[in-house]
Amino acid sequence: MFRRRSPRNPAGSPGPPGTDAFSNEVLAFLEPLYATALRLTRNRAEAEDLVQDTFVKAFRFSDRYRRGTNLKAWLYTILHNTWRNRLRDAARDTVDVDSERVEEAASLPGGPMALETPERILLRDSLDAELQAALDGLPASFREAVWLRDVEEFSYAEIAEMVGVPIGTVMSRISRGRRLLFERLSRAPANMEVAARQ
Amino acid sequence: MSDCRRTADRLTPYVDEALPPAERADVEHHLTACPPCRVSAEQEQGGRTVLRERAEQLRHESLPPGLRTRCAAIARQHTRGASAAVWRTRLLPASLAVALVLFTAFTVVMLATQRSNTLLAAQLTADHAKCFRVFPPPDRDLDARVAEERLSSQYGWDIHVPPSSARDGVRLVSARRCLYGDGRVPHLLYDADGHPLSLFVIEGVARPDADVTTFGHRSRIWSRGPTTFVLVSPASAGDLTRAVSYVRQAAQ
Repeated sequence: MFRRRSPRNPAGSPGPPGTDAFSNEVLAFLEPLYATALRLTRNRAEAEDLVQDTFVKAFRFSDRYRRGTNLKAWLYTILHNTWRNRLRDAARDTVDVDSERVEEAASLPGGPMALETPERILLRDSLDAELQAALDGLPASFREAVWLRDVEEFSYAEIAEMVGVPIGTVMSRISRGRRLLFERLSRAPANMEVAARQ
Repeated sequence: MSDCRRTADRLTPYVDEALPPAERADVEHHLTACPPCRVSAEQEQGGRTVLRERAEQLRHESLPPGLRTRCAAIARQHTRGASAAVWRTRLLPASLAVALVLFTAFTVVMLATQRSNTLLAAQLTADHAKCFRVFPPPDRDLDARVAEERLSSQYGWDIHVPPSSARDGVRLVSARRCLYGDGRVPHLLYDADGHPLSLFVIEGVARPDADVTTFGHRSRIWSRGPTTFVLVSPASAGDLTRAVSYVRQAAQ
């Protein structure tokens, strides 16, 4: 259902807020919103809460949605803001701390380690679990950026508006996120081989 | 700016094949001459490829039971023009669900008249229960100055936040803006001898003192100048005398 809908051009324009057509359009995004919430929170109960809260706000503030604009991007903006507010409420871990830590990690020289190829990584039986673990291990802002770009296929400009940062920052988060992810996936089997030999 | 830096800035649109031909050629030219940048490009390309190849699987998450029903209920409420209170009934005990429906129906009246202590107490009791249940505070103390700074920078509220007091058995655990109710009330969450305790600060309104019990929760209402304070705790928690008198005093 969702796959057929291009992120930038939602199928048709949803009806005005308050109508069944609008409600149905919003409900059609339930699954992708939940998958995104799960990747952001890394916790099923929190993801469920986050999605419900997003729905409550989407309908409560539905008069702020401008017809003809991208409903999916609007919903993801609410999801993002709700999540950030919760993070702020829950802890003092900020994205900035994350970024610094990874800035260091990502700027480390590549070292002598041979690069795996994406093709070989994609053939691994254990890839699903490895990929989820590698994604979950990324700092929150990078995880969100690569997810919105590569899984949800939003444009840089859409992500920038959603997340409230400049386009350059979006690109550098995507870049670091992708590289870090690949580095971790490249390392996983190498470690296993070493372990097997010992 | 060095070539490496310029290349790094354009790496993402480069691997996304979103660069104009001239810039693309420029990046490629640098990559052939610079092994470290080439490694970066290969890594980014590798991460992108793996993610996009697996995007479909990643997107596929089975929904938790009941989530669709609850979200559909939220949508239905909206379509009917009523408020979106239904999902909360799954999360709150029945008496609180009644409180939520009541306060939603009467909030407008209450805000207009500013008269009924019972309705104010019912609304804040619902907010108290909702915040502690839906957004369980982390199990560690929140520094009062951090809370003040957060409320000020995020919402423009300049209020005094009573800090934790070990002597009085009170721990500040969270500070937030209450989303429900009229959406504009600072809500301070405390742990008082193991019981949830809420302090709401309503500015610009003065009320006579009152002590009201609604839906199993006790609300102590008092004013200082043009500010009304409301302390909410479960009635079953006893009178929490020490904690309450500490927060009352410290809140002024």
